[in-house]
Order: sequence, then structure tokens, then C-alpha cells
Amino acid sequence: MKNLLTGTALAVLGAGIAQADGHLTFTPGEGDFNWDSLTAFGEAHDLSGQTITMFGPWRGDDQALVESVLAYFEDATGANVEYSSSENYEQQIVIDAEAGSPPDIAVLPQPGLIGNLASRGFIQPLGEETQAWLQENYAAGDSWVSLGTYAGEDGEERLYAFPYKIDVKSLVWYVPENFEDAGYEVPETMEDLKALTEQIAADGETPWCIGLGSGGATGWPATDWVEDMMLRTQPPETYDAWVSNEIPFDDPAVIGAIEEFGYFARNDDFVAGGAGAVASTDFRDSPKGLFASPPQCYMHHQASFIPTFFPEGTELGLDADFFYMPAYAEKDLGSPVLGAGTLAFKMTENAAADVFMEFLKTPIAHELWMAQSGFLTPHTGVNTETYANNTLKKQGEILLDATTFRFDASDLMPGAVGAGSFWTGMVDYAGGKSAEEVAAEIQQSWPAE
Amino acid sequence: MNPAVLGLITIILGVGGCVGYFWASNFVLDRFLFPASGPNAGRNINRANAIRPWLFLAPALLALGLYLAYPVVATFWLSLHDRAAGGNVFVGLDNYSQMLGEAKFREAIFNNMMWLIVVPAASTAFGLLAAQLTDRIGWGSLAKSLIFMPMAISFVGASVIWKLIYDARPEGTDQIGVLNAVVTFFGGEPQQWLTIQPWNNLMLMIVLIWIQTGFAMVILGAALRGIPEETVEAAILDGASPWQIFFKIKVPQIMPTIVVVWTTITLVVLKVFDIVLAMTNGQWETQVLANYMYDKLFRSFDWGVGSAAAMIIMLLVSPILVWNVYNARKEMR
Amino acid sequence: MDNIAGTKSSLTWAVHISVVILVALWLFPTVGLFVSSFRTGDQIASSGWWKALSTQEAQMSPIRVAGEEAPGADGFLIEGTLVQGDTTVSAWGTSSREPEAYAPGETADLRDGQTLTVEADSTYVLTSPETTEGTRLPRVFLTASSPPEFTLGNYEEVLTSGTAGAGILQSFINTLTVSIPATIIPILVAAFAAYALAWMEFPGRALLIAAIVGLLVVPLQLALIPLLQFHNAIGIGKGYLGVWMAHTGFGLPLAIYLLRNYMVGLPRDIIENAKVDGASDFQIFVKIILPLSFPALASFAIFQFLWTWNDLLVALVFLGADDESLVLTGRLVNLLGSRGGEWEILATSAFISIAVPLVVFFAMQRYLVRGLLAGSVK
Repeated sequence: MKNLLTGTALAVLGAGIAQADGHLTFTPGEGDFNWDSLTAFGEAHDLSGQTITMFGPWRGDDQALVESVLAYFEDATGANVEYSSSENYEQQIVIDAEAGSPPDIAVLPQPGLIGNLASRGFIQPLGEETQAWLQENYAAGDSWVSLGTYAGEDGEERLYAFPYKIDVKSLVWYVPENFEDAGYEVPETMEDLKALTEQIAADGETPWCIGLGSGGATGWPATDWVEDMMLRTQPPETYDAWVSNEIPFDDPAVIGAIEEFGYFARNDDFVAGGAGAVASTDFRDSPKGLFASPPQCYMHHQASFIPTFFPEGTELGLDADFFYMPAYAEKDLGSPVLGAGTLAFKMTENAAADVFMEFLKTPIAHELWMAQSGFLTPHTGVNTETYANNTLKKQGEILLDATTFRFDASDLMPGAVGAGSFWTGMVDYAGGKSAEEVAAEIQQSWPAE
Repeated sequence: MNPAVLGLITIILGVGGCVGYFWASNFVLDRFLFPASGPNAGRNINRANAIRPWLFLAPALLALGLYLAYPVVATFWLSLHDRAAGGNVFVGLDNYSQMLGEAKFREAIFNNMMWLIVVPAASTAFGLLAAQLTDRIGWGSLAKSLIFMPMAISFVGASVIWKLIYDARPEGTDQIGVLNAVVTFFGGEPQQWLTIQPWNNLMLMIVLIWIQTGFAMVILGAALRGIPEETVEAAILDGASPWQIFFKIKVPQIMPTIVVVWTTITLVVLKVFDIVLAMTNGQWETQVLANYMYDKLFRSFDWGVGSAAAMIIMLLVSPILVWNVYNARKEMR
Repeated sequence: MDNIAGTKSSLTWAVHISVVILVALWLFPTVGLFVSSFRTGDQIASSGWWKALSTQEAQMSPIRVAGEEAPGADGFLIEGTLVQGDTTVSAWGTSSREPEAYAPGETADLRDGQTLTVEADSTYVLTSPETTEGTRLPRVFLTASSPPEFTLGNYEEVLTSGTAGAGILQSFINTLTVSIPATIIPILVAAFAAYALAWMEFPGRALLIAAIVGLLVVPLQLALIPLLQFHNAIGIGKGYLGVWMAHTGFGLPLAIYLLRNYMVGLPRDIIENAKVDGASDFQIFVKIILPLSFPALASFAIFQFLWTWNDLLVALVFLGADDESLVLTGRLVNLLGSRGGEWEILATSAFISIAVPLVVFFAMQRYLVRGLLAGSVK
């Protein structure tokens, strides 16, 4: 198996080296890509000599990935895209918007912040055509449209942002061979998951690695837990009401979800290092416990990006794998999926930027990134064979099969809560405060309208 | 044009422009406006001397006014307004009262007081010690460079270094944090240092002390070297002990510089948020005002309260301002 | 006399020892970072940096058997080495539950009739009655002692990787272009202002000094938006001119404050004698004050250079974050990836960016000399 995979990887590498001009990752015309969509797009649009400035959250390896996709856009249209990013991109984008020197295209992972910018008139609406396109071409299109729709400066709701690059969050990572060595089975229901947790603890081992540490954003991994538990204990309508604060944060439904998280995180026997270590363990170090010898833990709840932080050389599907964070069998809430992602939007009236937004609708704009790493899409027109590996493909299927898809609540809530009191509240809760007290404090911080 | 060439031209133009401005304005003042000759020579000298300070100060005041004073005014204005749909609405002191009602703000004020006492005192003391001790030994300048090194590391780098020191791993596994490695070596239990209140505040302060000692050392070192040799030699001849020379002669001589160093570090303390943001983000009761402000500005996008917090930070400097005015008056006499 | 000499030398010893302790305390954290910059990310996260300096025995993360299979006596066999380098295995296992089940040289029976033997030097032999093609090969858990291992890979990655490599020289030049004018111009402007505040009589002097100290505390974050707005309005937008002006504005209060404090301490007689001799303020400033203030000018230059060199925020806002104009700090921070946390890269980049400020410090240190004033005082 490994030899087979290495072989493929080598073949891909070889193809990369063989190409003539060197700046395109995949040679046009080869593989399962929808090259036609690129050719047609290039013929329809000529942007020679024009420059588009783009600002996004992707840095490091991700920056190399987005630039590899942009290279095809530049190649097809003749435009020049200047991509930039920075450490505190949220701060940078707000400063640039306020000061009057925004980029043409911006990409952000926080719908709450985009809504804030839209309400101050810094963003150009995308128009009804794009809205219809999303409804038509994205799986569960309506939920994506509502994700990108905000009230503008005049208070009227329009589509402002285009979802591009999605992460699935409802995943539990594990090492299959550790499960086999101990004779554990992948649980199918939440009841099973809890039974497994108790069994591992009874065997004298530690079931979970949970780490909330993230420097200035410490606490966010816990919000994913609570959101996942919320979707597994309450109908999606209650989730939506929670996000919009129609039900208060200290509603019993929310407190119930927080305590479901507490079942896992506040039990010294269930988490590596004991409950006291949860809040301060760095989320990037946390999954390493799965691979320790002997294992420090058996399961880790985290979004689809986490393999980046697995030890070097870890092969997905072989050394590590994931299962869908199951739902309660008794609650009959279907299989809800929690996700997050980035949304692209226009900040200037540059016609070339309009063309770029059109490019994001082509299957090739998705496939080129899918074929590398860390990219999932609800675009139904793409060829899923282009996913770089089985793991990505399986995640993509979770996304397409979801009976309920909900976006990360903390990204949707106002910044003061979603990037503030919700995080700190979860740290307090992990540290021993009661769920009622924490929830009441978070509710108090909800900005009054 | 290559920016480096542009930079060179700008340096020449900037430096030349500055020198030219000072020279030409003085020339015009002395030769044409109020020449120190002729029938009104005496009156002219007085007039010229009344204007000259402002010629010297003009470029600095212009830059300060534009880049610092104007934002202060804008901040004050923002702190009295709230952003609502369609523009800013005047809300009086609502932002301030909302802020005072927040537990996190009160915690930040309390912690800031601790920071203001501990960090400037410790940094100045260590800096003075380092400056004095390294002054007369052969490898002093090497020692100075090593103590100075943390100054040259960015705050992000410094936070990483100290995370490596405070890191904690579950009991029974290899500790990668030095502090916990020592603790477990002596049979103790690993501690989550950054969550232990109130000591975690001290842990964060140590990072800043570590950085700022280099600053204090350089400035105080320059001042110590400015003390005339004769003064010290005279004291030695009088049979004063090294302790006496240090505390009775050197320290009083450089007192104004100590005030300056203390003031500067105090201001750094009031503004520093990178360390807190990177290490705890104000959790486990380690919030400080600057990080609170940052949080309000760029996380909550609540410019009203964020600006109000900034005004409080600026208000906290006033005792130091008074102290400095008092010192400046004393020197001028 | 002997007695006095004795106390003197013991005092000198005490001074030397104290300095050694002080330096060790201050250096220790940095040494950790330095050692870490030569280790891989996995090593940093799994063992303390001080352990990298000596041979360590530890349970290693599982290693999967991999290699070309060859036909053997009965069936197939794969031979190879698990860990490259000078490693001594003391125990091994194939199950996470029993990672130390076997001693070196023992043979383990695996499922499907496979057997595995691991020797002390971590060479292994896997036999299998069936072909292993397409099946999952076993993992091996080693308890082994390995000698210190260092890598230059981090430096290589920072200096030559795809996202940074090509641009890092450009960024280096950008940073120099930002920081040199941004150091020289505020010093010059501040020196004149400091002289006026120290040695010229005019009403409101003390209040002005207080106001300048007060401006030191203005939080940078608040000034960014109005100033960028201003730069956009007067048409300089984002560019070097804007960064220089911004750094000058932000650096001035401290420069004026430090320089005034130093100048006010200069001996009054020199200045008054010069005045009696008919020198103008401008001449006094250029011929007497500036040369005498060299230590203060040098120390401020060091600090202003450090701040502009390490600054990220001002450069990003006033210069921009695109590939052409990214400064060194920005380039290095972007290497960390969208989710950060790559300590080995952080450690490495910290040492790459620290080099120039240290050179500047060494170069400037000789201006921080004693005795410029010696002899000039009565």
C-alpha cells in the first residue's frame, strides 16, 4: 500500500518536473481536471495588463497553495494577481478598509467580521446572478447563500461573500493500529463513543487529547466541541436561534451542550494530563499524544486541517485516520456536520475583480487546490476524483452527505462573543467554573443592538 | 527606481533638508529679520532669542502634532461616540461606564498596577547593576552585548522562548519546559505555570524585565560613564568604600537618567500587549489594559470602548508626567 | 597596604562572578531558542532542548517497516534499518500496549505467519510466507538511545523555501531601506528640539517637555487608521515615504526625551563661555553640543534601529504586505503558516533577524565611551 502510494506521489512529482514553464503545478490537459472550464474561461476574459490585489488569511504552505491556483487564473486571463497576507489579517483588513486603501479582493474566515464590514459599506454586493448560481451549484446551496448574505450600509440584505475552501470540523482523529492493539471499535453513535471513552479509562488508559491553547485565541477548540454537541442535542433551528441570540447564551439548551463537552474534558481520567491541562495545552501539540509511545491518548476531536500538526511522515489512512463525530442514536437529529471556511468578497469596483469572482465559480478553481491538500468544496460540478487522497475525499463526502450543515457558530457570532467571551468562557469552564455561570457571563457580553 | 537608491536619496535629502532648514532659518532670523547690529541691536537680539527656540522645535512639533497629538484627539472623540448604523452617535460617557462595569477591565487595572510597580523597578535595578558591574571588567562589553541581546529579539520570538520555559506536559512524560523539568527532577509534580494565579502575572512580567534590562543597562551605562573621573577619584582618596561610592556618589549623579529610564519603561509597560496576547491573551486573570484595548479594537470592533480604554491608559501616565515636570523644573534652576 | 590590595582583588572576583551569573541568567533562555533552531519540530515538541546535547534513551514514536521485499527461504523477506545513525536499541515491540515486549535480537511472531527480528543497531528482518505487496507492514516501537542530532534544515527552509526563499533578500533590502532613514531622520530632528528644550529659555518649556513625555504613551494601534487615511488623502498612499514619516513621528518623543535629558547634564560653563565668545545658538549646537552628545545619540540610534528593524505593524500598515514591499519580519512571520505554531521556524527566523541588530549594537558600542567629558569640567 505504502509502496503504491509512494509510486503515485513520485509520478505526480515527475509530472511536476516534466512541465515546460515550471510555474504551473499540474500540466494543463492532463489528469481528471475540468480543463475545459479553464480554457473557456480564458477565452471569454482578457485582462492583459490589469492587476488585481488580493488579501487573504493564507500564509506559509497555504500561501504557496493559493498562489499555485492563482497562477492558472493569471495564465488564462493575462491578469496579474498580487496576493498578500499578514499575521493579524483581521486587523490589517479593518485598518485598510477604514483608511480607504482596501484590496480589490479580500478573503476572510469570519462571516461575522465580513458582515461588520458590509454594514459599514466597505464591500460590493455580488448580485443576484451569483446568488442563483450558489443555490444551483453548491450542495445545500441555500445555507451557503445565507452564510454570505449580510445587511449593507442601508440595512438591506444582499449576498456579499462567496464561500471558497471549506473545512469540516466534526471529525475525531485516531490511530487505527492503536485501536486494533487494544481491541477498540470505531463508534457509530454518540452512546458508543461515550461507552468507548469509559472503557478506555477503565482499561487504565487515557481516551482523549484535548488542548485549547492557541496564544491569543486560546479557547477556540472548545467552541467547536460545544457547537458539535449543540448540533447533536438540539435541532438545527435551536442552533440558529443560539447563533443569532434569539435564545440567550444561558438557555438550558446551550448549557446542556457545554456540559456535554464537560463530560469529556472535565474528567481527569478522560483527558491526557488531567482536566487541569486542557486549557493550557497548545492545540497544535495536543494531537501528538496520539502518536506517542506508549500512546498518551486514543482520540482527538479536531477539524480537517489538523494533520498539518501530526508528526512528520505520518501517512493519513495508514498511520492516522478519522471518523465522523457520531450523533446520538436516540435523538434522531440525522447526521449533522459542523464546518468552517473562507469567504471571498470584493472591496473595490474593479471590473477585473468581477472576473476573478467568476473564476471562483469554475470547477477548475476548486479542483486545482483539491488535488494538492487541505481543500474541501461543496461545489457539485467538480470531479471528486481530483481529491489528492482518500482522506480528503472521505471528508468531501461527509460534506456532500450532510443532512444538516452548520457553520462554526463562533465565527458567526459578533466578534466580542465569538472571538472573545466565548473563548475565554470556555477556558474558565475547563478550569472548573460552572456552565451556568460561564454562559451567563457570555450572554452579558453580547453587544446590545 | 530601486527603493534602496530611493532610500539613499531620501537620507541625503532628509538630512540635508533638516540641516539646511535649521541653518537657513537661523541665518534669515539673524541677518534679515532681527540683525544684531544697527540702532535696534539690543531689542533685535531679544526678539530673535524669543523666536529661535521655536525654529529649533518646529519640525519636531509638526511631526509630533500630526502623528501623535492628532490621534489622541481623534481617540478622545471616538471614546464619546458609538458606532451605529449610518454613522457615529454621541453617547457621552456611556463607553466609560460600560467599561467600568466590566470585570475584565477592573482586573486589567489591578494587574496593570502590579506591572507598573514591578517591571520598571526590577528592570532599572538589574540594568543599573549590570551597567555598574560590567563597567570596569575586561570582558564587560561582551557581557553587555549578551545581556542586551533580548532587546534585539522581537516580542514574538521572546514569547516563544518563554513558552519553552513555562511549558508543561502531563505527568510521567518528558517535560520540554525547563521549569517543569527542574521541578520533576526534584520529584515534584509538573505545574501549569501560566494558569497559577496570581503568580502567572509575575511569569509574564519576567519576560518584559528580561527584555527591558538591556535598555536600562545601555542608557544608565552611558550616564555612569558621563560621571567625571575626578569626582570618583576624589571619593576614593577620601577613603570611601565601593558601596559608598556607588550609592552616595554615582547614583545621585545619574538620578535624572534613572528617572528617564524608569519613565520610559513605565510607558513601555503601559503599552505592551504582545507578550500577554501571545502567552495567555489575558486569561487566568492576567489581563492588562493594552491587551484589553486591543481586544476591543480588533476583536470586538468596539471602537468606542477601545478608545475609552486608551484614554485610561493615557490618564495613568499623569503621575509620571507630574514627576517629570517637577524634575525638569528642578534641573533648570 | 597588602590588606587593601587583598580586599580589592576579592571584590574584583565577586564582580566577575556576579557578572557571570547575571549573563548566564539572561543568556539561558536564548540558548534554548538557539539550540532549538537546530532541531526538528518533532524533536522540540517531544524532548527538552537541553537533552539534545547528550545521548538520551527514550521511547521513540512508532516507525513503520518499509523496504523492497526479496524472495527468502520460505516466502519473502524485507531487510533494512529503522533509524539511521548511531542508535542503540534496548527494547522493542510491535504493539502500542507492549512497546517494550522484546529485547534486541529476539524474534516476534506477527499475524499471518510473519516474523520480525530487530537487532540492537536497529537493523531488522521481516519474513512473510505471503507477499507483502499491498498489505500494511507492521509498526515498530523502539526504546533506544540516540546520540545528539542536529539539523541545518530549518535554516535551509527559512532561507530557501518556496514562499520565502526568493523574496528573503528583497525583504532584507526592504527592511534596511525602511530602518536606516527611519533611524537617522528622527535623531536629527530630535537633537535640535532637545537642545531647545534643554538650553534655551522660553515660556512653557516644562509643559512642553511634559507633553512630549505624555505622547510617548499614545497606543500605536489608535494612530494607524487616521494616519493611513491622511497618507491616502495627501496622495503618498502606501510607500517608503509614509513609513519613514510614521517611524519618525512615533520615534520622536523618546528621542527628544532621552537627548534632552542628556544635554541638560552637559556642563553649563562650556556653553556660557561659548556664548560670551559670541557663538550663536546654531554654532554652539553644531560645534559643541552634537559632539558631546555622541553617547546619547548612539544609544538612541541603537534603540530606534532595533524598533524599526523588529517592527511589523507599522511596516504592514504604511508599506503594505505584498510580495514586493514585505519587510523581513513580515516575511518570516508568514513562513509560520496560517495556523502558526512552528516553533523550529520561529526559533530559526529569530536568529536570522537578530544578526543585524547585534552587529549594529557592537558597532555603536564603541561610541558609548567614557571620558568625552573628562577634562572639560573644571
